[in-house]
Amino acid sequence: MEMMDLFIAGIGIILAGGLVSMVLPERLKSWAVALGTGCGAALIAWVSLNALFEESPITAAYVLSYPTGTVRLVIDKLAAFFSLVIAGISFLGTVYAIGYMKPYYGKKNGTTSHFFFLAALIASMLSVIALQNAVAFLIAWEIMSLSSFFLVAFENESEEVYQASINYLIAMHIGVLFLMVGFLAAAFQSGSFDFASFTTVFQEHRGLASLVFVLLFIGFGTKAGFVPFHTWLPKAHPAAPSHISGLMSGIMIKTGIYGILRTVLLIQTPAFEIAYFVLIISVISGILGVAYAIAQHNIKRLLAYHSVENIGIIGIGIGLGMLGTAYGNVPLALLGYSGGILHVLNHSIFKSLLFFATGGVYQKTHLLDIEKLGGIVKFMAFTATAFLVGSIAICGLPPFNGFVSEFFIYWGMLKGLTAGNTLLSIAMVFSFASLAFIGAMALLCFTKVFGVVFLGSPRSEYHEAPVEVSFSMKAAMAIQMGLIVLIGVLPQYALSGVALVAQQLMPEGGKALDTSPYLITLGGVSKGLAVFIGLFAAIFFLRALLLRKRSVYTYKTWDCGYQAGNVRMQYTASSYAAPFLRIFRPLFSWKIHFTKPQGLFPGEAGFESHAEDRFERGIINPVLSMIERSMNAFTWIQSGSTQQYILYGLVFLISITLWIMVV
Amino acid sequence: MMITIINIALLLIMPFLFLGFINRIKSRWAGRKGPSIMQPFRDFMKLMKKGEVISSTSSFVFRLAPSVTFAAVITAGLIAPLAGGKSVISFEADFILFAYVLGIGRFFTVVGALDTGSSFEGMGASREVTFAALVEPAFFIIIASLGLISGGLSFERIFEIAKGGDVAILVLPLGIIALFIMLLAEGCRVPVDDPNTHLELTMIHEVMVLDNSGPDMGFIMYAAGMKMVVIGALIANLVIPAAFPLWASLGLMIAVQALLAVVIGTIESVTARLRMTHVPQFLLFMTAISAIIISTVVLFIAGGIK
Repeated sequence: MEMMDLFIAGIGIILAGGLVSMVLPERLKSWAVALGTGCGAALIAWVSLNALFEESPITAAYVLSYPTGTVRLVIDKLAAFFSLVIAGISFLGTVYAIGYMKPYYGKKNGTTSHFFFLAALIASMLSVIALQNAVAFLIAWEIMSLSSFFLVAFENESEEVYQASINYLIAMHIGVLFLMVGFLAAAFQSGSFDFASFTTVFQEHRGLASLVFVLLFIGFGTKAGFVPFHTWLPKAHPAAPSHISGLMSGIMIKTGIYGILRTVLLIQTPAFEIAYFVLIISVISGILGVAYAIAQHNIKRLLAYHSVENIGIIGIGIGLGMLGTAYGNVPLALLGYSGGILHVLNHSIFKSLLFFATGGVYQKTHLLDIEKLGGIVKFMAFTATAFLVGSIAICGLPPFNGFVSEFFIYWGMLKGLTAGNTLLSIAMVFSFASLAFIGAMALLCFTKVFGVVFLGSPRSEYHEAPVEVSFSMKAAMAIQMGLIVLIGVLPQYALSGVALVAQQLMPEGGKALDTSPYLITLGGVSKGLAVFIGLFAAIFFLRALLLRKRSVYTYKTWDCGYQAGNVRMQYTASSYAAPFLRIFRPLFSWKIHFTKPQGLFPGEAGFESHAEDRFERGIINPVLSMIERSMNAFTWIQSGSTQQYILYGLVFLISITLWIMVV
Repeated sequence: MMITIINIALLLIMPFLFLGFINRIKSRWAGRKGPSIMQPFRDFMKLMKKGEVISSTSSFVFRLAPSVTFAAVITAGLIAPLAGGKSVISFEADFILFAYVLGIGRFFTVVGALDTGSSFEGMGASREVTFAALVEPAFFIIIASLGLISGGLSFERIFEIAKGGDVAILVLPLGIIALFIMLLAEGCRVPVDDPNTHLELTMIHEVMVLDNSGPDMGFIMYAAGMKMVVIGALIANLVIPAAFPLWASLGLMIAVQALLAVVIGTIESVTARLRMTHVPQFLLFMTAISAIIISTVVLFIAGGIK
């Protein structure tokens, strides 16, 4: 029991930090939350590490009354892993916020609520992970959605931010509706809201298990951002302050992944159809997420679409794990789950790093439009390096962490490919090619962002020359970069860590699995990476040696003899992405504004094209407007007249009385 | 140990010979005598002795880029099986590292190009990444198909076993064509790109390195040649029988590479570069072939979809 008390105390300290910050003067608020989160996160990390490496999970039960019944808290390996990730990234986020929120002090009233809800978000995320009772889970889930809603709506005086936050709120509530139906369907059969009782029901009713899984997948998938439930993401992320985008994209959407994994754990051995369903949805999310990202010109919107892509990659890993379980293919299950779970950690690190670096650029230039930026590396070398490291990691390139998790997933696919089942083999070949395609597109996208934003010359006049960000922001980014390199070059330890979680998700046979044969291969990877890094160092040293006593001088960029080049002649992000977008035109719905030059002395003329999300225009928006129309039919209920409301109460009471009398 | 040394020597020497040989063939087609086969090596040594001019727009990324790219290509070369079908570094699923390490090389070439702020280099960079996005999935399908035939999971094992059996007669020629298209695309040769073009607007690889000079340029040139040799080695591995003794297979490897150089030189002499908007169609041809390969494998080896 003691350990669980520490965990709860950790959540309490984080909340206390938020409460204390409310009464403090403005410049101390961020410190209070960072301190609270730091202490709380340390406690939670300690408990989680214990739970991760102990045999039995940490549990506690609290007898509460209606509506929850007994509430169990469990920190098993799955929960321990997620709470570790959440605690770590949350702490970095609050440290980053110290520097990031400084310009807002004295200018904005919302900082009190902002810091309180930041603490509330972190506390609720951690509670979601531990709670094992459907009702309590949904309450914590709702607190998480609401506190993040208030965080997104921070700059609510802007119409765009306001719209985005309302859109987010609606999406979250449609998502939670599916969760409620799913949980109710299971609870109706089992007679209890406790998760453990669901497992027994799912064992007996396989059909119900699959149905509940799909319902919960939609609910959790809305949070996680699977296509086609992703449309809130690219709206909410640009609207929120950067540390919030970092936390939302880095860890909050992972609570959706946690929910899916928890459901998998409840179902234990999933049906084939369900596993293929997860795999297919994930492949589609991965491909479309990155394809849509390429068309974006707002950095944060672009990064948001990349979250859709990375959730897709995580989902591919989970899908492989489920397929492995369904087919009894232990290596496939182990590597699939391990890859997906490790990608949860990796993505939380590099995506929050990318958002933090972007936040630094925004703080100093007040710009998010890629086409207006450029040459930032000359003003903010640290931030540029951070973004470069994050870019390489998110493209899944060696020697950084993104490569390791993608390698596990590829490797798992190979194990499935050669397992002898034709259908599985075909599925593996196509997911194999899809993941390669996703990787190549991510490379296109991030060379575009990094190249256009940070390199070259500024494309517009900055109000003032940007300067490097403050120490607290740098500190957070430095830690993230360190982690990225560490996981990247030591894949063996990464597997040893996540295999524990993966084995919990696998049926009995997998739990006793010896992972040492896998470590031999990872030793090979590690050797290859070492050779690469060594060769690079040697070549770079050779270059320096050769150039030591020679003339190295700088001159204008070669522009084919034309001597009046200017910054407007640089390649833009749109032109960079154009060849790709032309080939994959059908994926997007295009909006083109074209004003032809007219008359003998043409005046204004212009051409603008926007690539839009097909799912948003084709599926989500029509559905939303349909809901809106049908809801409008009920507006007469809310008339504003008190007498009418009293009548409702009366009608309700009479019908209840009648019902009791009859039944 | 012996094989390791031979492989490393092959990897280091062949790029120069390969480039030299192509130039020689092209000269023959043009009715000229042509430069010595060792000319690329002499160029390389000359570049090594020079200083550098660096664009004032650029940052540290530009200085790092050629070294990263070169290191990446060498690493890929060490993973690819060369003489005797053996790699220097080999482990399960090693070809994923192979593809991704080439990816990091590409990443740096591209950001290095963008660092100069030149519109031409941006154009080349954009084409490079777009075409790579088309080539990569097809490459993975081909390797996966070979893996499905052989049941092997590393480069060495895949090539060792995939050559046996009846289906090889169908799959191997297709595989050779597809990998050859990849060689042309990755090596930036006609019809995807023309290394000898004189107009920056029409280049891909050469335009990305317009601002490089001195040792950096030497690394880039060397790496470009090595990349072709490495992909050429994959093609050679499809042809060379697995059971051959080391010396025979070494000779065959060199012979296949020479043949590839002849074919490339001939193509460059008799055909023109495709219009940029048509290149994707050419590359999608590779995807189509890879799709045929996987269907063949599924139908004939796995006995259809059960």
